Amino acid sequence: MLLVRGALLLAALLAVRVVVAGTLLDFSAQERRQIASFGPWPPQAQRDPSNRLSGNAAAVALGTRLFFDARLSPSGQIACVSCHQPNHGWADARQRARGLADLPRNTPALANLQLQRWFGWGGGADSLWMASLRPLLDPREFASSAAAIAGMYQRDPDLACLYRRAFGQGPAEGTDHETVLVNTAKALAAFQETLATGRAPFDEFRDAIARGDDAAAARYPRAAQQGLRLFIGRGNCIACHNGANFSNGEFSDVGVPYFIAPGKVDAGRHDDLQRLRASPYNLLGEHSDDAGRSSATATRHAVLEPRHWGEFRVPSLRNVAVSEPYMHNGSVPTLRDVVLHYSTLDESRIHASSQPLLRALRLSPEETDALVAFLETLTDAHGADRPRPPLPAACDPAGAAQER
Amino acid sequence: MTARLAALAAALLLPPSAIACEPPLRGEGVQKIEGQAHVVAWRAPTPLPLASFFSLEFAACARDGSRVEAPRIDATMPEHGHGMNYRPTIEALGNGRFRASGLLLHMPGRWQLSFTVGDETLRAALTVD
Repeated sequence: MLLVRGALLLAALLAVRVVVAGTLLDFSAQERRQIASFGPWPPQAQRDPSNRLSGNAAAVALGTRLFFDARLSPSGQIACVSCHQPNHGWADARQRARGLADLPRNTPALANLQLQRWFGWGGGADSLWMASLRPLLDPREFASSAAAIAGMYQRDPDLACLYRRAFGQGPAEGTDHETVLVNTAKALAAFQETLATGRAPFDEFRDAIARGDDAAAARYPRAAQQGLRLFIGRGNCIACHNGANFSNGEFSDVGVPYFIAPGKVDAGRHDDLQRLRASPYNLLGEHSDDAGRSSATATRHAVLEPRHWGEFRVPSLRNVAVSEPYMHNGSVPTLRDVVLHYSTLDESRIHASSQPLLRALRLSPEETDALVAFLETLTDAHGADRPRPPLPAACDPAGAAQER
Repeated sequence: MTARLAALAAALLLPPSAIACEPPLRGEGVQKIEGQAHVVAWRAPTPLPLASFFSLEFAACARDGSRVEAPRIDATMPEHGHGMNYRPTIEALGNGRFRASGLLLHMPGRWQLSFTVGDETLRAALTVD
């Protein structure tokens, strides 16, 4: 009797183990290599050579203060945090951004920015500090100016003190307004570099696959495994969403309409690359701190071709489940809708000379569910509710002076 | 003297592709493409990086013994009908050797690398995982 009970108990435990542990799909060697290529996560932090304040704690403190400060707009109405809100994954959950006026594109979430080569949906900036500077001057966003930014420091000794601590020289000490503007953008960039997503359930699975621990890998939900197999297989999502950040950092036309108003289009990469080249703030310009211009490789070599018309930056999929709405114009409300977009893609909408690798996937409802399940596992524990950084304490002028 | 003249006459009668030239690049990982009028030897990083910039060293020689000048390099994905988003620059290292910088293959799959030397384009297949 005891033996029977013991056997039943063992059978029950094994059954539970099966439920807990799950099963691992028969991933091929090629699939395993592809899975491993999505990591490791987090990647090693890298400083931006074009920003001498990259990774500098004093600059991060100044940048944090500035990010939440609506005085960056002369009207006092707009701060960076107005659109990049920590409780919305450093975005705004709106279809399209709104500064002082409505804008045609969706607000991108701020995370893992050190891994990006281009910034903005059309790659109109080639550095994070340039991307931080551009909206300050845009009349639709902050509508500010170099003089207005410099004036903000003059009226706030504490802010000027933080600036002095970061740059070793006060904003009014033999510095022209243009330099103060660029330095302000570099401090904002130093802060934004600290915004990162943590490890997600997928990363545990990926690491288990990479070290050959199939028992640990089997804990990853089966639906997510099936979705992943579609992602790297028939769906060929990996063609653009590759690497640890799930983005090749380039641009693509995925059949999202470019019209922003009757008779008005957003040409995406095609126009933004031209704006970038014309800007004095690009990485080939005098404001880069990278004397050798090694960080300007992309800017120096980028080509402008007709196929770039209507292309937009391939976004990272890290935390994608909490960054709705989707696409450059925020026209796709949910993650499931994104998958359905690729499933029922209108191929005639894709620019004729663009990548014909995009085909309607024609997914079954089960496959759609599986792809969504996989994408959801790319979300870290914080999800959309990002930790809000503490604002820096009041600056001690004596300390800042000593640091000089 | 007669033998030399005979050799010269034979060389003149041979098709250009039969006249050997050796690009000055050797060693591990070097691959060679034999064209009608030129030969290119090249060496790419192993493995080829996906969606990251890399440089590539190559050398070229002309079968007629002429000097190779201003070669060009490009890469395309024939299956998808697109090329790179970047135009590489080429630095002459002397003696027929060159370094191409600013290459970035932004998608995994089969790429075609092409070297244009004079009027001739020589192609090689690349695979990026």
